[in-house]
Amino acid sequence: MSDVTVEAMEGKVVTNQLPTGAIVGESPLHHSDLASIAEKGPQQGGVHFHERKLKGLLTLRCTPSVEQLSLIESLLGVALPMQPLTSVTADAISVRWMSPDEWLIIVDGEQAFELETRFQEKFSGHYALVNISGGTTIFEVSGSHVVDMLKKSTPVDLHASEFPVGKVVSTVFAKSGATICRLADEKFELVVRRSFADYLWLWIQDASREYGLVVKA
Amino acid sequence: MTQELSKQSNRLQDGGRIDRSKPLTFTYNGKQYKGFEGDTLASALLANGVDIVGRSFKYSRPRGIVAAGAEEPNAIMQIGSTEATQIPNVRATQQSLYNGLVASTTNGWPNVDNDLMSWVGKVGGKMMPPGFYYKTFMYPKSMWETYESYIRKAAGLGRAPKENDPDIYDKMNQHCDVLIVGAGPAGLMAALTAARAGARVIIADEQNEFGGSLLSTTEALNGKPAAEWVAEVVEELSGFDDVLMLPNSQVNGYHDHNFLTIQQHCTDQFADRAPNGQIAQRLHRVRAKWVILATGAHERPLVYGNNDLPGCMVANAVSTYINRYGVAPGKDLVLMTSNDNAYRTALDWHDAGRNVVAIVDSRKNPQGTFVEAARERGISILVSSGVIEAHGSKRVTDVSIAPLNEVGDAIVGSVVKMAADTVATSGGWSPVIHLSCHTGARPVWNDDIVGFTPGVTVQKQLTAGAINGAFSTVQVLDEGLSAACDALAHLGLSKPDVVLPEADVIEEGKAMALFHIPHTKPTSKAPKQFVDYQNDVTAAGIELACREGFESIEHVKRYTAMGFGTDQGKLGNINGMAIAAKMLKQTIPETGTTIFRPNYTPVTFGAIAGRDCGELFDPKRYTAMHAWHVERGAKFEDVGQWKRAWYYPQGNETMQEALDRECLATRNSVGILDASTLGKIDIQGKDAREFLGRVYSNAWAKLAVGKCRYGLMCGEDGMVFDDGVTSCLAENHFLMTTTSGGAARVLSWLEIYHQTEWPELEVYFNSVTDHWSTMTISGPNSRKLLEKLTDYDVSKDNMAFMDWKPMTVAGVPARVFRISFTGELSFEINVQANYGLHVWKELFEKGAEFDLTPYGTETMHILRAEKGFIIAGQDTDGSVHPFDLGMSWAVSMQKPFSFIGKRGMQREDCVRENRKQLVGLKTLDPKAVLPEGAQGVLDPKAPIPMPMVGHVTSSYWSANLNRSVAMGFVKGGLDKMGEKVYYPLADGRVIEAEICSPVFLDPKGERQNV
Repeated sequence: MSDVTVEAMEGKVVTNQLPTGAIVGESPLHHSDLASIAEKGPQQGGVHFHERKLKGLLTLRCTPSVEQLSLIESLLGVALPMQPLTSVTADAISVRWMSPDEWLIIVDGEQAFELETRFQEKFSGHYALVNISGGTTIFEVSGSHVVDMLKKSTPVDLHASEFPVGKVVSTVFAKSGATICRLADEKFELVVRRSFADYLWLWIQDASREYGLVVKA
Repeated sequence: MTQELSKQSNRLQDGGRIDRSKPLTFTYNGKQYKGFEGDTLASALLANGVDIVGRSFKYSRPRGIVAAGAEEPNAIMQIGSTEATQIPNVRATQQSLYNGLVASTTNGWPNVDNDLMSWVGKVGGKMMPPGFYYKTFMYPKSMWETYESYIRKAAGLGRAPKENDPDIYDKMNQHCDVLIVGAGPAGLMAALTAARAGARVIIADEQNEFGGSLLSTTEALNGKPAAEWVAEVVEELSGFDDVLMLPNSQVNGYHDHNFLTIQQHCTDQFADRAPNGQIAQRLHRVRAKWVILATGAHERPLVYGNNDLPGCMVANAVSTYINRYGVAPGKDLVLMTSNDNAYRTALDWHDAGRNVVAIVDSRKNPQGTFVEAARERGISILVSSGVIEAHGSKRVTDVSIAPLNEVGDAIVGSVVKMAADTVATSGGWSPVIHLSCHTGARPVWNDDIVGFTPGVTVQKQLTAGAINGAFSTVQVLDEGLSAACDALAHLGLSKPDVVLPEADVIEEGKAMALFHIPHTKPTSKAPKQFVDYQNDVTAAGIELACREGFESIEHVKRYTAMGFGTDQGKLGNINGMAIAAKMLKQTIPETGTTIFRPNYTPVTFGAIAGRDCGELFDPKRYTAMHAWHVERGAKFEDVGQWKRAWYYPQGNETMQEALDRECLATRNSVGILDASTLGKIDIQGKDAREFLGRVYSNAWAKLAVGKCRYGLMCGEDGMVFDDGVTSCLAENHFLMTTTSGGAARVLSWLEIYHQTEWPELEVYFNSVTDHWSTMTISGPNSRKLLEKLTDYDVSKDNMAFMDWKPMTVAGVPARVFRISFTGELSFEINVQANYGLHVWKELFEKGAEFDLTPYGTETMHILRAEKGFIIAGQDTDGSVHPFDLGMSWAVSMQKPFSFIGKRGMQREDCVRENRKQLVGLKTLDPKAVLPEGAQGVLDPKAPIPMPMVGHVTSSYWSANLNRSVAMGFVKGGLDKMGEKVYYPLADGRVIEAEICSPVFLDPKGERQNV
């Protein structure tokens, strides 16, 4: 077994789940051929949509001690956001607070296994780090009417005073759910589940119609 | 323009907020009319001298426009130029006029001007006395359906479109510091104050422009026409980023926790159909920190004989039509009033160049600014008098006026008749407390204003203006300011610089409490005196209800239908209560009031549904291989929200032919199923194994790393609710699978037990359902197929039944589980979902030589039924425990710690004899397929009702066995092997079956163990 790495320290398995070589992964919106829409579709509009696909997404569960917190910081390269509904966004890694003992970590697709391995090797105590990259995708929505579109979709208050840049909430989105993070005044990140991605993409197209939707490659 | 005007007989030459340079054409009851931009449908109808806008509900009497706002009871229209754009129950007073508008009356059959049903009214309405519905319900019951269809038609409730509405309706969630309901003087003052303080403000008004009463007043603010102040405020408000102004928007419901719903008319105020892609109506779902109700008041008409004749109107409405719309809806006016305020209508009428016949004032000595103004104009004022009856058939022609005693309940002199075509009346103002009532607040009677004001509320709600009984402009503006300041203080915002505009000081004399004008005849014999126009409730009807013993106002309401339906008692409620109170010889507060419920005015279904319709009605969940299934022509079935491939017909195959082919191919060679929808939960922690032992009925202590085990999950009652295979990935790491529909429930179940019962156990649960694509290859050739895609040794020796192994399949790292739901040699291949379709396609590439056959959920059901494997939810229904299923092997009573359901399944009822137990059912006729759900009996000759012993849960045609296979419940079935059970069917056939083991195929399990 040379091509699959399996380690069983701490009584857990960590597996590289990505193939090597030429096999290309297909994101949940692969069938929509967003690249063509980006090229041939409208270039002007109040809502911009981009699928940040094939990223590495991991769920970290733990109730960290002070020592574990600094260890996690050294493993991630950023400190774990401990304030509810906050996040950290850096070049190589983003961390979203999900619940008192849960964080969502976003890295490049190939980095997920490396991070899992690092934790497996260095971290001790009760925790779980679960790769959910295949089960999720990221929608980046932006534009002058992005807040209007989101107001049709989610009951959360998106006013800058209540939802500043960096805030993150996991909440109802249409009849599904999303983890919403504000990246800039008019730019949001939605982390959604694979199986609901098509429904949510349809919903966003519909909710954006009156403002004009621009798909970005 | 002159031409347009000349056709509008009641249109004034100038004045009003309409634009005479923009004529609009509309159609009413099939006839074309002209109006102007700025008109409502009602003002345009009045301008054109249209008197009759409907026929009354019960008596089919001709009715005209009475009011100018949401309280209009009669002018209820069907709007829409095409079948698809029909909107019922639109108040003409709330519908802006637009070019091409098509309206028709919703009642009046066959037409409003000449109604066949009016004989009902003329013979005295005995066909439907008060309490008609209730009396009919009691007897003769058999007639109800006949009555109903006739009443429906007569009731004029409008109709829904028969075609799909092409318009878009949506919803938007809003949040604000202060929501202000009503943009009259109080609302605008409050909005201005709150906005200047930096608060997030939403201000909504049902009218097409802000200003409320200021749009139709002749009063000045800051020495200028009031409308100029309105324009300045609106201009300033529109400059704030955090102020949302919603005209054409009704705040229809005030729900718990300051959640309010606003229906905004976006385009249907000016177009039959929304222009290209625009939203027709939007429902705003508002969560407000504070709410200021500045909803104003509705003027109350007085109750007198034939007061429903077209031409009888509420006084203030007449002023509004003159001042705001440039329409004087008649020539000769009689104004009846109990207060000074309404004198303004006579002044407006006079100033519009029309004839005021007389002001009939019920008071002895009226004095005040407006009274003096009327005297100055030489208008005749008859004091201590009332209009006791209007005369005419389709419009008022004369009125009878009589002197009244001091309290207005008796006639004390002779009756005089005067010619007039318009009767305007005012009994004072009723605060619009509807929204306040929605919160559960009981209204409080206020003697000073002769009306109900909002009661104590539990919501963060303030009120300002006429809703509080403050009626003078000075007072109203001041209340708007202070309500806003109160809200700002609660919000921790400081009061900004605001100066109240200067309003005219008006002296008003004391009003008189007057509701029902007496007639020379007793009420029961007098011409009908209407209280609730929309529901045709008369003073006589209310008196009759009281005489029949209805003493509670809630009962009177239900007996007479007063305030029912879309009207919500806006004009009539207080008059009705006053009449009931008088009959019951008590005060109005003693009588009490009924309260109002949402919605304030009717809301379209479109606005309620929003975008949750059509393709977006419910989420559709797809697997990574969905596109392939579609391409392959699969039929889909809904499993929870998942779209699962059901079967894959080829050519002209019937469903059964496709299933037979799929079943045979799998058992004879190899088939493949997309099982990605199965719930998958990653379980980690040193106590994971212990946790599994507590939530599953069977034992987990000894499951070795690399092994898989089937488990049953039971509720506290011991009943099975889910099942699945859980695999030991590493000592402290497991992967649980659940049914497709049960995944979310199982995860919640685990979390609930972890968080509330066993928080000391170190274990984490994470859903990985979507992360893995799962494809099951099943059949004798499945190993050969897998070997073509992996270098890993998948032989029996290296990978036994119920083992899982990590390996690379088609170049992609995979977890492969040797588990089987078909009883065949099977491999369940799991890969990261972004590579699911790649591996799936590769399997087909290599599987061609084995005739790899895709099969769907239906074939899966058949194959598992051949093996007697249950499906939780199909063969269980929440009332069966593992022993009922014959699955005692999946229960371990020896575990050191208890497990969920252990106690439940040992209850007396769960261990008794003769429980329904799951068994196989082998039909005597091998071709007969039992219908699922059929009930079994032991003696088909027993008299009806036959004692039933249990139902068929699963039943299929098995192509592999060339016979039917079935499972079902039979009382005491596990002890009745070999005995007969009979299924009498609805078509008269009786299918006979033998009770047997549910395992029809390969009872020793040799096929899966190779």
